[in-house]
Amino acid sequence: MNRRIIPLALLILGTAAWLSGWNVRQAPAQETQPPVAAPEFGDAAIAETPTPLHVEIDRLIRERTPNYDSMAAPLATDGEFLRRVSLDLTGLLPSVAETRAFLADTDPAKREKVVNRLLAHPSYPRHMQRTFDVVLMRRLAAKHVAAPAWETFLRTSFAEDKGYDQIVREILAADGTDPKARGPARFLLDREGDSHEITRDVARIFLGANLDCAQCHDHPSVDGFKQAHYYGIQAFVVRSFLFTDEKKVAMMAEKADGEVTFESVFEIRDKKSSGPKSLPPQIFEKVSFTEPKFDKGKEYVVAPDPKKKEVRPIPKFSRRAHLAEAVASRDNRRFARTAVNRVWSILFARGLVHPVDMDHAANPPSHPELLDLLTDEFMRNRFDVRWLLREIVLSSTYQRSSQRPVGADGKAEFPPETAFAQAPVRALSPAQFAWSYCQATGEADVQRNALGNKLSEETLFQRLAGYESQFTNRFGGQPGKPVEGLEATIDQALWLSNDAGVLSLLNVRPGSLSDRLVKLPADNPAAIAEELYLTTLVRPPTPQEVAEVAEYLKDTTPETRPNAIKDLVWAVTMSSEFRVLH
Amino acid sequence: MTYSPACGSAAHLSRRSFLQGVTTGALGAIGFAGLTHARAAEQLTRAQKQVVVFWLSGGVSQLETWDPKPGTDNGGPFQTIETSVPGTHICELLPYTAKQMHHLALVRGINTKEGDHGKGAYIMQHGYKKTPGFEYPHLGSAFSSLLTPAGSPLPGYIHVAGGANAKDASFLGPRHAPVALANGKAPDHLDRAAGMTAEADAKRRAMRAKVSQQFSTGRKATETEAYSASYDQAASLMARKDIFDFSTISEADFARYGKHDFARHCLMARKLVENGVTFTKVNHREYDTHSENFNFHIEQLGEFDQPFAAFVEDLADRGLLANTLVIVMCEFGRTPRINQRVGRDHWGTAWSIAVGGAGIKGGAVVGKTNENGTKVIDREVDGGHLFHTYYKAVGIDSTQPFWDNDRPYHKADPQASAIDEILA
Repeated sequence: MNRRIIPLALLILGTAAWLSGWNVRQAPAQETQPPVAAPEFGDAAIAETPTPLHVEIDRLIRERTPNYDSMAAPLATDGEFLRRVSLDLTGLLPSVAETRAFLADTDPAKREKVVNRLLAHPSYPRHMQRTFDVVLMRRLAAKHVAAPAWETFLRTSFAEDKGYDQIVREILAADGTDPKARGPARFLLDREGDSHEITRDVARIFLGANLDCAQCHDHPSVDGFKQAHYYGIQAFVVRSFLFTDEKKVAMMAEKADGEVTFESVFEIRDKKSSGPKSLPPQIFEKVSFTEPKFDKGKEYVVAPDPKKKEVRPIPKFSRRAHLAEAVASRDNRRFARTAVNRVWSILFARGLVHPVDMDHAANPPSHPELLDLLTDEFMRNRFDVRWLLREIVLSSTYQRSSQRPVGADGKAEFPPETAFAQAPVRALSPAQFAWSYCQATGEADVQRNALGNKLSEETLFQRLAGYESQFTNRFGGQPGKPVEGLEATIDQALWLSNDAGVLSLLNVRPGSLSDRLVKLPADNPAAIAEELYLTTLVRPPTPQEVAEVAEYLKDTTPETRPNAIKDLVWAVTMSSEFRVLH
Repeated sequence: MTYSPACGSAAHLSRRSFLQGVTTGALGAIGFAGLTHARAAEQLTRAQKQVVVFWLSGGVSQLETWDPKPGTDNGGPFQTIETSVPGTHICELLPYTAKQMHHLALVRGINTKEGDHGKGAYIMQHGYKKTPGFEYPHLGSAFSSLLTPAGSPLPGYIHVAGGANAKDASFLGPRHAPVALANGKAPDHLDRAAGMTAEADAKRRAMRAKVSQQFSTGRKATETEAYSASYDQAASLMARKDIFDFSTISEADFARYGKHDFARHCLMARKLVENGVTFTKVNHREYDTHSENFNFHIEQLGEFDQPFAAFVEDLADRGLLANTLVIVMCEFGRTPRINQRVGRDHWGTAWSIAVGGAGIKGGAVVGKTNENGTKVIDREVDGGHLFHTYYKAVGIDSTQPFWDNDRPYHKADPQASAIDEILA
């Protein structure tokens, strides 16, 4: 009933604003704003609950910590907010025209307006696709399912506001037999259909439980993670395996028999084991179905044939088919709780339960009432990720500055991270970094101009995808072990410093930032600094920074200025501030 | 990790760890820039343990190297020769190495029970059998993380004549992933872009640092400082790119090492050790001799023997060997039985490796195979024992785990322990 529908008008406005706002040459600043931002998003919620969720978030965050107000960072400046929310909702840096318009806007509701616009932006689904791709696939190599099929499935799902529960059910149910729906099958197939790997990741990603230890014994330090929990999940998939048909297409197949068996290696070592145990399928001790019994010889729709390996067996009863419902349903509160906690942790670099996959009684949430409320409301709003993001980013908690006032000694006192009283400093994802660099240097504008009337989110993505993959290869970590946080290496810094391709984006050419800066009067360093800082760091420069820019360009001649400008753009785009979300 | 800087400046003693994100790269650069001559390098390495692995890819035959069995049904055509260690004989295909045996110890009782190239290589370089869904750190990444001085501008793990597998670092992080010198060339992007002067580069870097510094005011900046440190390290490494300049190798060196690729790679390894690189792996290929085993070994070991022996001798002469652990190994040995194609096949059941240098008792021999080499009859060891031994040799307590997200991982199999018989 709370199904939120983005008004068509708003979608069109958002798209129009996007298309025009990105074309620096054609777009006067005022056109980048939709003239009206109707508050349709919140209407239904307001009618049903006395206070919007984002207000409740702030209340519960504040009430939990004594002296919260005294330790809380002030709200972020407009520039800091715009940069953060653009990158969080679309993965993109705002254009300098958007930034100027936003800073000049005097509407008190302008933050809500921009949130609505960004959520309706055509880059929102792609950003969600990238974000959840890393969550779900950990940058594992695409082997049996082509990455584009999987990415399209995710992107389309988020564009359509498919509920997160529905997305996960489709992922866990897909067996790859339908050639038109290979995408969602990637989760199982590119884990080689391995029942242990599937068990570990289902527990970790969807149930907030890192049960890796529990494969061999009850978790040694976590009472709540039992070996039986691990094997209860594995029992859903223990009969499943990767089947390859005559055309070498991989798909999931299943036998009609097979049980999990487990025995604690500690008990074996201490000679206390009463022998191997077994379990029917269950999620944290909750059994959700009874298994029908079939007479011997009648267990299969298509029986396996030892002589014909090309026959894919199909049992009358599939355990795996029950996994999706058992995991991603309202009856399994852990699923919704883990989902909201994960979204929270993406935006705050820390879960309410932290780490996200260690949700157990001895590691309680920092804000239990808030986590409960978010879980309830997420389920009530049909697991709608776009709705959840909107509520969180509208909260003051999200909109705090990352900066604390410093004392006379130049140092600041930081509130504990668990208070959520100061915005975190988070590494840009490789894609965010790539697109920010392309946007800031002007490469994105060069490509927009080149596309002309063929410009769309998709065509621009195609043009810049090469940069994105280069950044992802260098900054994304390794298959199965994506980078968390900011891991900086020498070879990355060497590449950013010296690679001809990276540096070529700094060149003075039509549409580039260096070109705009070179054309500004040399005797007006304040104007140069403003254009540079608004474009790259989405904020005006401080007087000290204006002086530094002036100093940098002081002794340049018309011949040496272009190179000095390029170096200056490099220095700012390679700065720590540019590399992070804050 | 501490070390005494060659120039004795107190400034270098205040380094804090790279992971704490302190921007000490610039200071580090001064420290390392001072270490250009051999004496300084010697001083540095006196405190810093280093490791070099010679990886004989494909699986060298133990019978044609460290554990010959002449005159038996499996012995093959070669005789043994005396070595610099009275009573210890090795195969006659290694005459130069024989003269350096007093620096080396032999482990003759290895049983890894693994005859698959990939799986065997995994055990020998990670200390464990491969576990689905989990990567143990590679030996090179492990030593990089444990032995590299904080703030060092040098990569901790360099692979000469091989690829760079980012997976090697596992949870230790990309800082400890290998840097490859493919075909013996310097890493990419060490040179300034065309048209960029040193002055302009320094100026833009100073500006980058200034902008970053302002950002850190009033913010928790652990990670951003690590980011800035990586630029300082990059600049330091660019300033030290001479360590990858192998064009200065003298004719006298070539005369002693040879002029083929592997000889050149050994000379590169020597230079990297001299300059303080923590872990260097040098590849030598083509030992998978399913046919023509003996001819191939004449050829391959003929290439290996002289430069390897010269490398050991040079490290010893320069005082570097005492702090550098040298390991000659591969994924497995070769079958004692000679097959119909006069080859030997994969064999993980009873084979040998050689180790020397830091912490190793030169000349020691441990483990024994039976008369015709088909099984271990004394002091059987596997990858776990070897890893405990490597760690102990460079002064690391292998019973203390690595930590990843509060979860401990054994450095080496807790069921095994070090081979004390070959430790000094």
